[in-house]
Amino acid sequence: MGSLMLSVDAVTFLEKEGFPVLRSLLAATEDEAAARAAEIGFPVTLKLSSPDVIHKTEADGIRVALRDAAEVRQAFREIVGSFTTGNPGKGLDGVMVQEQGSGAEVIVGMLTDAQFGPVLMCGLGGIFVEAMKDVTFRLVPIERRDAREMLEELKGYGALRNPRKGPIDLAEVEDFLLGVSAFLRDHPEVREMDLNPVFISTRGVRICDARIKTG
Amino acid sequence: MNEKLSRLFSPGSVAVIGASNSFDKLGYHVMKSLVGNYRGRIFPVNPKGGKVWDISSYPSLESIPGDVDLAVIAVPAGMVAGTLHACGRKNVSGVVLITAGFKEIEDPGGASLEGEIRDIAGQYGLPIIGPNTFGFVNLSSSVNASFTSEFSRIEKGGVALVSQSGGICHLCGFLAIEQRVAMSKLMSLGNRCNVDFPELLTYLVDHDDSTKVIALYIEGLDEPRKLLDAARALQGRKPIVALKAGKSEKGDSASRFHTGSLAGSHAIWKGALRQAGILEVATAEELLDTAKAIDSCPLPRGGRVAVLSGQAGPGMIASDALEPCGLTLSRFSEETQRRINDLLPPIAIRTNPVDMGPAWYNPRNIIEILRAVLDDEGTDGVIFLAMYASANLRLADGMVEHMKTADPFGKPVIACFTAPPGIWDGPIGALDRKKGIAILPTPERAARAMANLWRVNALVNGKGVKTWDH
Repeated sequence: MGSLMLSVDAVTFLEKEGFPVLRSLLAATEDEAAARAAEIGFPVTLKLSSPDVIHKTEADGIRVALRDAAEVRQAFREIVGSFTTGNPGKGLDGVMVQEQGSGAEVIVGMLTDAQFGPVLMCGLGGIFVEAMKDVTFRLVPIERRDAREMLEELKGYGALRNPRKGPIDLAEVEDFLLGVSAFLRDHPEVREMDLNPVFISTRGVRICDARIKTG
Repeated sequence: MNEKLSRLFSPGSVAVIGASNSFDKLGYHVMKSLVGNYRGRIFPVNPKGGKVWDISSYPSLESIPGDVDLAVIAVPAGMVAGTLHACGRKNVSGVVLITAGFKEIEDPGGASLEGEIRDIAGQYGLPIIGPNTFGFVNLSSSVNASFTSEFSRIEKGGVALVSQSGGICHLCGFLAIEQRVAMSKLMSLGNRCNVDFPELLTYLVDHDDSTKVIALYIEGLDEPRKLLDAARALQGRKPIVALKAGKSEKGDSASRFHTGSLAGSHAIWKGALRQAGILEVATAEELLDTAKAIDSCPLPRGGRVAVLSGQAGPGMIASDALEPCGLTLSRFSEETQRRINDLLPPIAIRTNPVDMGPAWYNPRNIIEILRAVLDDEGTDGVIFLAMYASANLRLADGMVEHMKTADPFGKPVIACFTAPPGIWDGPIGALDRKKGIAILPTPERAARAMANLWRVNALVNGKGVKTWDH
């Protein structure tokens, strides 16, 4: 079946592969969460980390913009509490403490199609992924022109290009897509991957969360 | 392979194996397609002997004196293997295998039989179109090696239609006759035994001067990357347009990844086709319209369109159709507007869309308006609309007269000339596909084809077109 790499593990792995990520640390306890948050610097985000949960938002597993240790502790208790009540018997790795991301959210993903082989996807991310299905596909490997067109084809392209918070350097997003394509070429063992969300802002591109299936 | 395909498509002689005088045999209809149309030698092969379609037949391929370039096989599936051996021994250049009953059937025996014939073909290096095909028509050299003789009525031109379905060839072939789409080749690859899309693309792009644009109909492929890689390698040489059937957008619902659950097969095809430089279209009608426009018109450098109409209404719906497909109404320069104003009295709208009604009885002025607009740097193409009315009967003939001495247009002109059957047929035929004009049935289809011409230009020249989706 291969193996599944999640949240902190996946983000850390991608960081080692040279991708820009939001700093992320795993905490098993409330105390640990507070310590990690201080280490990263406030504000932080806390996220449920479980192999059984794909939709963290729906599982009530995300708390954002936590400004101090007290808020982090409170958030930790809420996330773990609601997961334990809602998912008896399911596994919990802990809670991910993460540098607060900002900007537009996109999803960059990969799947291995029976006919096409490795396929790259890019789209509007965050809570809009399922609702809007505003995504585009290309076969791996891609060229710069493909990267540009993957973005241009999005219905939300206008919103990406003209966000209210300042101009995004789309060439940097293209670089990121080319980087993912190169990574996939060098790692044929990757079968399926979600980088979701990836924040893009004036400060650049940052992977916020990821899951990677190899095998 | 390409040399053999050249001989297969333009053979000096054709043997029809299974040729028959009996209407309910496909070999009868293949003979009907060849006799009186094909200029090379025809060898009917039938073990019963005698005359077939008034031509002396041969009991076997071996008994034919001289070379056979193409063998069209229409015998029962069980006899195909032996027939292919005979073709190999006779040094036939290529085969059209009409016979069905191979891997397309439910019985697994069909697939193993197909494996067997592929091996035999490989042994002799014999390219096979089919099995399970209606055949092909090569209009550029008047070869109709199919069981539908009426395909010979398609006009000779630059569109090659390569299909995974014979039915789609019949749909598009007859529409092509009706709508004056001019073709170089029309073929169904059937089960694609050893001649598949990649081989055909390479042949049509590199070795077939008569083909200017390639139209593909694709259902599903086990290894789509082969087609896409071939197209990508040929990108920018000849435009390729594709209609892909199977529009399911359903992803893998079992996937625990967003990407997997969102990746419907059609969504991947869509991205992959564009990546390969192939223009995807949504319908058979759009496939033909687009191919015809590419065959007939120069590619536009941008999406700014002038609409010239003899009546206001059709001009308005053409204008409305521009924006959804990514085009805009062009803005005329002062110079252009002055030229138009000199040709049109101020009793109609003279800005874009131009109502040419007041010049309706003056074909010279109509052509001059068209020329003024085409000269404008700010206009990339023209949609020209002429609806017949009894009083403007002579307009179309007048335009033909003026176009005779005109230089070809440097920008695309997509026109609708709409009249009751029989009235403008002559002039429509004389104007269509000449000097940069393509005639299509409706303003909306004209707009769509114009947009696709622009997209093709973007694919060929690597320029981005933002509004890609329909």
